[in-house]
Amino acid sequence: MMDTMRKYLWILKAISKLKLSTQKDVITRFLTAEKKYLPDKKTKADVSDILRCALCPNMCRFDCPVLDAVKSETFSPSGKTRIAYALEMDRFLSDDAVALMYVCAGCDACKQWCPFNFSVEELLIGVRKDISDKGMVPPSLVHFVENLKKNHTVYEGGNTSLGLSEEGELQKDVLYFAGCTTLNRMKKVAQATIKILEKAGIDYTVLPEEWCCGAPLSLLGFDSDFKKFAEHNVKAFREYKTLICSCPTCVHMFKEVYPKMGFPLKVEVLHTSQFFLQLAKEGKIKLGECNKEYVYHDPCALSRKLNITKEPRELLESIPGLTLKEVQLNQKETRCCGMGGMLGFTNPEIASAITKKRSEELRGVSDSIVTACPVCEFALKRANTGEILDISELILKVLK
Amino acid sequence: MPPKKSPTNAEKSGYQVVYQKKKLSDEKKEKILNRLQDLLGEKNVSDKEIDKISYSRDYWPIALRWTLEGKVAASPDFIVWPENTEQVSFILQIANEYDIPVTPFGEGSGVLGGAVPVQGGIVVDMKKMSAIVAINDKNLTVTVQPGMNGMNLERTLNHKGYTLGHIPQSLYCSTVGGWLACRAAGQFSTKYGKIDDIVISLEAVLPKGEVIHSTSVPKSSTGPMIDRLLLGAEGVLGIITQCTLKIWPYPEKRVFQSYVYNELENGLESIRTILKKGIYPAVVRLYDRTETSRHFYQTKKAKNRCMLILVMEGCEELVDVEEKVSQTVCTRTGGISCGEEPVHHWVETRFNVKETSEFVPKDVIFDTIEVSVMWDNSSKLYTTMISSMKSIEGVIMASAHASHFYPQGVCFYFTFAGTPVDTTPDEFYTSVWDAAMKSCIDAGGSISHHHGIGLMRASWLPKELGESFNILKRIKKDLDPKNIMNPGKMGL
Repeated sequence: MMDTMRKYLWILKAISKLKLSTQKDVITRFLTAEKKYLPDKKTKADVSDILRCALCPNMCRFDCPVLDAVKSETFSPSGKTRIAYALEMDRFLSDDAVALMYVCAGCDACKQWCPFNFSVEELLIGVRKDISDKGMVPPSLVHFVENLKKNHTVYEGGNTSLGLSEEGELQKDVLYFAGCTTLNRMKKVAQATIKILEKAGIDYTVLPEEWCCGAPLSLLGFDSDFKKFAEHNVKAFREYKTLICSCPTCVHMFKEVYPKMGFPLKVEVLHTSQFFLQLAKEGKIKLGECNKEYVYHDPCALSRKLNITKEPRELLESIPGLTLKEVQLNQKETRCCGMGGMLGFTNPEIASAITKKRSEELRGVSDSIVTACPVCEFALKRANTGEILDISELILKVLK
Repeated sequence: MPPKKSPTNAEKSGYQVVYQKKKLSDEKKEKILNRLQDLLGEKNVSDKEIDKISYSRDYWPIALRWTLEGKVAASPDFIVWPENTEQVSFILQIANEYDIPVTPFGEGSGVLGGAVPVQGGIVVDMKKMSAIVAINDKNLTVTVQPGMNGMNLERTLNHKGYTLGHIPQSLYCSTVGGWLACRAAGQFSTKYGKIDDIVISLEAVLPKGEVIHSTSVPKSSTGPMIDRLLLGAEGVLGIITQCTLKIWPYPEKRVFQSYVYNELENGLESIRTILKKGIYPAVVRLYDRTETSRHFYQTKKAKNRCMLILVMEGCEELVDVEEKVSQTVCTRTGGISCGEEPVHHWVETRFNVKETSEFVPKDVIFDTIEVSVMWDNSSKLYTTMISSMKSIEGVIMASAHASHFYPQGVCFYFTFAGTPVDTTPDEFYTSVWDAAMKSCIDAGGSISHHHGIGLMRASWLPKELGESFNILKRIKKDLDPKNIMNPGKMGL
């Protein structure tokens, strides 16, 4: 409080020098003016914060992968919140404006440069909720959500289990949660993980049916549907002590978003890279030689949202003979693979352009790429044919 | 200056357009659209309403206020994204053929309205020309396209062991082309110079589509420097399409120092003496009492004093000497050392551009004005500009820091804030600016050090340039007879 007072002392000093009537006028305006620039009706979006972002000169723009791909002011972070402000104020309504609210990679690159610590994705989620309430959600997204609710996975008609016979045994301490993309597009990641767990002698299990972590529902603004998924998962996880996930977004949802949305989990949630490092340190897995160089791609959700940058590196560096290379944009300054924020579904062309750029950056450093996210691996594999592995696949390769 | 005419409703949206343009006939619009699409492909041309709103303004504070009031500054007819110099040339030829205005656009961080398409027409967004063409390790140069973002250029150079030395507060949100077009300055300019000192050569497209190139050489004696006409021209004389800039090895060592002075004058004298000795700290910033209390409230010794911060950087041996000399000069001239902490604070917060977002929605009119002056007029200019701004009813505070220094003089960077009394926000804003500009000229200063002219200073440029403004008009008339290039800016 004292610090805040000292911070604003210059304003108080300046105001104190004004005539008494002017002082009153200035203070009244200062305290009440903003109200007239905000919607009269209640909104789920924080329009005050959206306005702050919209009035910024776009200080995070240089790190926004969407803007980098599209090169249009409309798609810049503040460009989007300017249109969001117009939408919330009912000043500009169009299909283009609504569609724009979903064009975000959700990578939080913006957040690290923002003086207000805003995540543009979080600002837009509020707008999406209002769009949903107004019944203006683009039909393709409505269709997607309906399918997700029916199938419990983001992939239409996709797998929701690993098909293991002993799955779902409640007496086990460790539960492995593969995630939608691992189950449906990157099954090798799950297979590698299971082999490592078995080799380490971990008494683990998997669920007979995995329900999506709910990230797509949460970020598209379908709160009530998300809650159903969260309720289900909280129940499904309640008997376990440790939950390990291949997908950083699942970890982020379970560790950060669930508690914020009123669904705290008792289970300890770990990403596979963290769990494997523990196993290596405890001597439960032994890593053999690998005389090769790899460049490590930090997944946004892992590095920026979960602050996990050291563990994957420590694990990789513990492999004898392996040379770990770094790309210019690494750790918290990593660049999105293109598939974040549902962009691969909502705007595949933009997603592909982002993937291409990231792939070229990584390829410029090494022909062999290792990452720690099945979605990143899936994206990068679509952009080039070189060696691209999830950290679990690489560990399995060198496992003694 | 904002027009007096009342705004009218724009098509298809609830926005009002402040600057009215000549309406294009549907037939003409269609023809131009087809020509542009044939040239650039459909993906690189837009006439969508959403894009017209996005490109309606830059970071001119008065236009930001209009956003809150449901107005847009202007409305272009088309937005285009050229991918090479040839396309830029053809766009300007089409614009001449159809007599339609062209406004070049980088990242819209300008604060004087220079990129507002006040007469509509074509906005040429240069962001698809953003490649680093070459880094020459022997010559110490980088060749780069104009749409390159400042931070992305700097962090790439840093990764390769270099720095551009041009670090404006807008680094994150401005382009190389924008810097050149406004003759920008960075926070490290006392060592590395302004962008007009850093640029070696450039390529540009003139208004009728001719392409000019200058040769990359350290210096030459080949007549007037025609390429320099484009520097500071804010797009009225053409579009810069490539440039070669100086680069420096990434500093081996960086030293931070700070001092407080009882009087601003003593701080200025310290800096003048340091520069006279041939020492050029990269960062030199001297804050008056008001700004010291605003930025350095956590430094106890700074209370009711003026803060000076210095950053010396470069080759280790030289930095050691600079550190020693600066310390001796500053303490001899009344400076009280405050250590490194205030400089760390500045480094951590130097890109925190929050004021507009915080104060504009609270109806506080807020802006900055940067000017330059020779040493012998510096104190007079500071005093008279502060008092002239404060004389306008409603001004709550006017303050300054000096941020760029030369052996011959200094740049003062003023900030004012206030709320209109018995007047409109636009009129209040204009009256503070007019008072500041008049007192600057009267005190022998230049009305802009690095932000440029745009719309806001347009009426004051002839007063500063005198007969040279007529020469500028004649050059403009010759190069751009139809006045298609960024019309309405710089009083042209």
